[in-house]
Order: sequence, then C-alpha cells, then structure tokens
Amino acid sequence: MEVTQETVAAAVNSVASARGKGTLPNLMAFARALKQLGVKVSLSQVLDASRSADLVDIAEKSDFRAVLRSNLILQKEDFPTFDMLFDRFWREQSYERVPMETMDIQGTPADSHAQEGGDEEGGLEEAAVESIPKEDLQLENLDEFAVPTYSPQELMNRKDFSEMGVEESRAIARAILLIATKIATQISRRKKIGRKGNTVDPRWTMRRSMKYGGEIIDLVHRKKRIKKTRVVLLCDVSGSMDCYSRFLIQFMYGLQNELWGVETFVFSTSLSRITHLIRTKDIGNALEKISGSILGWSGGTNIGRSLHTFNRNFAPSMVTHRTVVVIISDGWDRGDVSLLEREMQDIKRRCKKIIWLNPLLASENYEPLCKGMQAALPYLDLFLSVHNVNSLVSLGRTLQKMVA
Amino acid sequence: MNPEQLTIEQVQEILLKEKYVCDRALATVVYLSLIMGKPLLLEGEAGVGKTEIAKVLAKVLDAKLIRLQCYEGLDSNTALYEWNYPKQMLRIKLEEVEHGDKEKVETEIFTQEYLIKRPLLEAIQTDGAGPPVLLIDEIDRADMEFEAFLLEVLSDFQITIPELGTLTAKHRPYVFLTSNRTREIHDALKRRCLYHWIEYPTFEKEYEIITTKFPEVESKMARQICAFMQKVREMNFYKRPGVAETLDWASALIALNRKNLDDKTVVETMGCVFKYREDLHHLREQMEGRQLNLDALLRASPEMVS
Repeated sequence: MEVTQETVAAAVNSVASARGKGTLPNLMAFARALKQLGVKVSLSQVLDASRSADLVDIAEKSDFRAVLRSNLILQKEDFPTFDMLFDRFWREQSYERVPMETMDIQGTPADSHAQEGGDEEGGLEEAAVESIPKEDLQLENLDEFAVPTYSPQELMNRKDFSEMGVEESRAIARAILLIATKIATQISRRKKIGRKGNTVDPRWTMRRSMKYGGEIIDLVHRKKRIKKTRVVLLCDVSGSMDCYSRFLIQFMYGLQNELWGVETFVFSTSLSRITHLIRTKDIGNALEKISGSILGWSGGTNIGRSLHTFNRNFAPSMVTHRTVVVIISDGWDRGDVSLLEREMQDIKRRCKKIIWLNPLLASENYEPLCKGMQAALPYLDLFLSVHNVNSLVSLGRTLQKMVA
Repeated sequence: MNPEQLTIEQVQEILLKEKYVCDRALATVVYLSLIMGKPLLLEGEAGVGKTEIAKVLAKVLDAKLIRLQCYEGLDSNTALYEWNYPKQMLRIKLEEVEHGDKEKVETEIFTQEYLIKRPLLEAIQTDGAGPPVLLIDEIDRADMEFEAFLLEVLSDFQITIPELGTLTAKHRPYVFLTSNRTREIHDALKRRCLYHWIEYPTFEKEYEIITTKFPEVESKMARQICAFMQKVREMNFYKRPGVAETLDWASALIALNRKNLDDKTVVETMGCVFKYREDLHHLREQMEGRQLNLDALLRASPEMVS
C-alpha cells in the first residue's frame, strides 16, 4: 500500500473517534491507524508500548517517538510510515504542553482542520516532486524506496488484477510446487537421528541403552537432513512482460507460499520489495495489495539500475552462498548495458546459482540478441523458458537433475 | 549499579564512560529494555556496534556476559544443555562392577551433577548477585527451528528438562539479540522484543566516536577520516565499511604516527577499510581520477570543536 500524506491523514481521521483520554486509548487508536497503513501491530505490542510510555517523560517528543517505534515497529522498512503517522497523529493538539490527558474526544474541529492541512501539504509535495529533475529522484529512490515514489517522467499505471481467476491456476500451482521443492532442496548441516548414518550420536545411544541397564546394544546414528535453500525472486513487470503478468503473480505467490525464506522483488524502472505484501494465504487479497502499491507496473525497463539497487540495499544481507537467485525477465533493457553486466557479476559472486527464466525463449525464432540479455548470459547457471504449464514442468525436471 | 534506577541520560553517560557513543534514541530503547525486562533486537549493517553495546553494558552493570553465537545447525544441545554422557557411562560401569542398585543409578545420573550447562541454561541458572547480560549474536544465522525454541525460552525464562523438571530464572537476564538481516526474523520472535535499527553514524557522531576512543588523535585527521568514511559509504563498493573499520583504520594511522591524511597514506593503509580486491582497485581508480579528493572532502566537512 502506498503511504502518502493523504493516506496518513485519512488514517488519522478514521480513528479520531476512538481517541480518548489517557495513554492507552490513544495508543490503541494510533495502532489502528498504523494497521490501516499496512503495518501489522499486535495488542501485546500496544500494551507494552503503553507500559513503556509510563517509564519515560513523554513530553520529550523524541523520546516518546523512540519508545513507540521500538515497541510497535519490527522492521526498518516501516520507519518512514511510522514517522509520517507519528508526526501527524500527535501534532494535532499542542503536544509539548499537555501530552495526552487533554485529547479531545469529539476531535471534529481539529480533525477537519487537519484534513484541509493534509490536502494542502500533499498537493504541495507533489508539485515539489514534479519540479525535481529525474536524476535526483533516482538517487532518492536508491536510498529510500520502501515508500514508493512518484515519478512523472516514467510511464506508470496501476494494474488491475481483479479479473484473474484462481481456479485456472491449479495446474500452475502444482508445477510451481514441484519447482519450489527442487530449487529449495539441499543437504543441511543440521542432523537428525536415525538407524543409519555416518556418525554415532552418543547422547541418544546412552539414552536408549538405559533400558538394558546401561549396556550398549543399539547404536544411534545421525544423518544429514535435507535443508531448504533460500530463494530470491526478481520479477520483471515492465510493459514488455505485460502478457505474462498473470503468470508472474502466480509464480511469485506460489513460490513464496510454498517455501520458507523466499524474498520477492519486482522491477521495471526501479525495484520494489514485495515479500511482505504476498506473505498471506489469501491470494485475492495479496493481488489487491500488490496492485495498490506498485506504481511501476507496465512501465519501461531498466534492469541494470534495478539490480544495482538490489545489490546495494539487499544483496549484502539477503544473498549468501546458498541462495538461488531467480530472475524472470525478457531481457529487453533500456538502461546502461555495462551497468547490467557489472551488477550481474556482483550477484554471481554472492550467490549459489542464478537462474534466468525468459518467457520469450520459447518462440521459434527468438535468440537472445537484445543487448541486455547478451550481457547477462555469461553469468547464468541456467537459462530457461517459462511460457506455459509444460515449460514449468520441464523446468522442474531440469532443476531436479541439477540438485541430484 | 542498579539498572532500575537509571534514567535515559544516565544510560547514555555510563555507556560513554566505557567509550561507547550512543544517540538518544538508542539510549532510550536500551533504558526501556533494562527496565521492562524485554529483550532488545538490534539490527543494522555489519560493524555499527550492535554486539559492542551488549558487551559494554555488561561491563558497566557489572553483570556477567553470556554470549551465544548463532550459526547454522545450532541446536538445543549446544545452546541449552547436554547430559554429560561419558560421565554417566562411567558411573553405570562402576555401579555394574560393584553390583549397585539399578533404580538408584538411573535417577542419580540424571541430576545437576551430570548436566553440562550451555549458554541459555547458564543465563537462567546463573549464580551471580544480579541478572546476567545474555547476548544472542547473529540470530539470523541460526535456523527456524532454533528461533522457535528461543521463543519459548525468551517468553517465560524457564527451561524444562524432562529428567529434572522445570528450571526457572533466578534473575531474569537482560537479553540482547543482534541480526545482520541475512534473513527476516520471524514475527513471533520480533513481537517479544523491542526493535532498534542502528544506522551508520553521521559525520558528527563518527567524529565523536573516534575522538572518544582515541583522545590523542589530531582533530584535523579525525575530520579527514570521518569525511572519507562518510564519502565511501555513499559510493559503490561491494562491502561498505562500518564503524569497526573506521576504528581499525584510525588506530593503524595512530600506530604509524601519521598526523595528516594524504593520498599516499590512504592507499597504504586501505587494507583496514576495504577487504576485497575489487574494492581496493575501485578505490585506487577513484583516487587517481580525483573523484575522491581528500582536500575537497576536508573542506566540505563541518568544523568540529573538541
């Protein structure tokens, strides 16, 4: 979900009636507003936040902010949302003087005023964004793209996924499950006990021998367990991939929900992390959330820049020697090819395998001639086609061989 | 020192006394964590001082530091407790020779005497006067199973050993968890913790860190170092250097008796800051191409009064 001054103002307004005297009611309202903006907060967190608030001088605004943030926010990505809401939520009354005791229950005059103020500010901000040259915007994006930014130069439109039917996806879902297990299977360093295995487990051998009065009769062994790899999925959602978007969503959703430890990103001209958006069992809801938050859907492509963002902000922590990076893209790139090549090299160095799935590969006279694809080719471990269910099944088989 | 009577300012002060420079927000969450007895989850890039704060706190609170370094495959045997089976085995054999009572042996070999305490059990059963500081380092490296199991320990501060019963904490330990974010920590665990993200320091904070750790350093060189580090963190390096690298570098420069930073010195000592061949190469290129200009950096950096 996109967080702007308007949505924040709307969230504050909608919980205005729930605000009351004292810390707790206000915090509950605050938490509800956070929820509306897409940040999950549990009741126990709110209670702890309220307890914490009693421990500091809440007239000190920065302390109060730190207190609420450390209790309610569990990932850095939500900090900007929190800060925007915090500023708006607690500023309505003269905060510094009388913190929460005087919060006005009706709140209507103050709120309607806030609403006006919000609109005005939002408008100003948008105008300001428009006047910033494109390059500056991009720099900003690199650092802070948890909040989707507005960029007028690029073709941005929202995609409506509502027409997508779930029933036709059964076959795809099965194939994805197969692929998911193949991509993800690896031998673990963690061991489990069993009759056969390489090493003896003295602890359990001892335990079992108790029934024979300490005489060792059965040896208990340990064997290596199957362990799941981590997968990072990078999906191209630019205009040229439009006709596959339905499949892409399925694939991202399927993979993420079948496996533990999948990180999902989409990119066109810039990159967005959507892992948290599709971490749900309800696909319809997930689709709505994605289409609501990704602005670059069906825009142009800049693979190099997107990968750069990925390498800079996410790869150092998310990609390790046991991570499989899966890129789904047709390779049509309008950006700097040498940048793309550099970034591919970077990913290659960090990860276990790079798999590139290209929906165009299936068409008869396709050759990976576009510059972007050519630059990426040397760094790929697997270059495969995905365009229909059959190709998915064969992808599953290939992966099976690869793991075996 | 009794943590319950501290204020936020005092937390900041006592940490500074041990040369840990921390901003007000971090001091606030540390204070809360101490008072509420809630674990504190610290995230941030490598080398920003996540582990350090737990160590320093243990020192200033005069508490025992119990550290659990997480790794893949860490299981409850290594984290919690294990029976001392060779000793048990020996006892059984001895009793066998002396024709001892089987029932008696069976109960006796499962007593505290035959128990090996691992960090988590140690944190709960510690004998000291006050609560210990439990540092669970790099929790993101451990696997999901371990996380789930930690959940149980951190919510009740008790451990159930089937043969012995439930052991409850004498003093609830101060718990610090750190994560480098190589993967997301499960929400259930996060919800039991306070959360704080430690950013790379600003120019001013980094300057303060250097001058606190190395009072002998010249103000100009400290400014040069900070300006340089701030700049390279913005640039495109494979591994961005943290505060730990800054301190390594500063101490190297002091050991070499340098009073001023020039291009040659930087190139000579860069091994302290960059640990990849490509990064070193990239740096040399940038310095030759004057994209990274020490004098310009120094000029652009704020004046500091020490």
